[in-house]
Amino acid sequence: MPDRLTSTFAALADPTRRAILARLALGETSVTELAKPFEMSMPAVSKHLKVLERAGLIARSREAQSRPCRLAPGPLQDAANWIEEYRRFWEASLDRLEDYLSKMKAATKAEKTKGPRANRSKTKSKE
Amino acid sequence: VAQSADAADAATVFVFNRTFDASRQDVWNAFTQPEHLKHWWGVPGNRIEIVHHDLKPGGLFHYCTRFPDGRTMWARFIFREIVAPERLVWLNGFSDERGGLTPNPWLPNFPLETLNTVTLAEQDGRTLLTITVAPYSASDEEARIFAGGIAGMKMGFGASFKLLADYLARRS
Repeated sequence: MPDRLTSTFAALADPTRRAILARLALGETSVTELAKPFEMSMPAVSKHLKVLERAGLIARSREAQSRPCRLAPGPLQDAANWIEEYRRFWEASLDRLEDYLSKMKAATKAEKTKGPRANRSKTKSKE
Repeated sequence: VAQSADAADAATVFVFNRTFDASRQDVWNAFTQPEHLKHWWGVPGNRIEIVHHDLKPGGLFHYCTRFPDGRTMWARFIFREIVAPERLVWLNGFSDERGGLTPNPWLPNFPLETLNTVTLAEQDGRTLLTITVAPYSASDEEARIFAGGIAGMKMGFGASFKLLADYLARRS
């Protein structure tokens, strides 16, 4: 699984390939149609499509002559999950920092109202 | 290290922002003092055990997460820049229990270390925290993988593309 993620991320590192994926998110389309917005030769576009296909990010129909491309779900989903987890890890860390800071604030307030004696015993009772 | 057009596109880094209803000094303390760090840093739902914390340039912060099932996960910071209370820069990586670097357990080709920068800015009694994560001395291959991850996140892979991928998976 990690190796597949690696090839997915490597495929995503190229801006043209990301643009192709973004276009395919709108629906299945032919290679000719895909090549239009890029100032690129057909072989160059085909090369990108091969990388995306090898990474399992797209699938190409074998039936029609034009061999239309579409997004493939598997690796895209793994990559999305991993990225989402990474983002969530940081968000969760910042959530906990936020909670902790409000506890710190409450503790400081309590110390101020209780005075130094109460403050000392409170520090001792901490782990 | 990475000079390709792909990597230039990735000169960008992961960026996270958050505004806290706390003074800059309090946020700084929470980020730099082990007695505070142990209450919030680490994998959600698990406390960390700090074996070493030496806040100085080149100093090591080495800690362990013990999961309920008995597994352990070690990680480390090497501090690079310490400008209290506004800027903290460190190299972030997974490690073994002796503090040696180890690969990312989920992505073996992810850069071994990332350069993490926290900046704190005061705004009307509140504190804006920004964290950036960039690959550090990564090989071209590693930089490319990192770039792909960032690009994926920027594309909205994390949220909207996930919905799309889930939808596609259900349909197929």
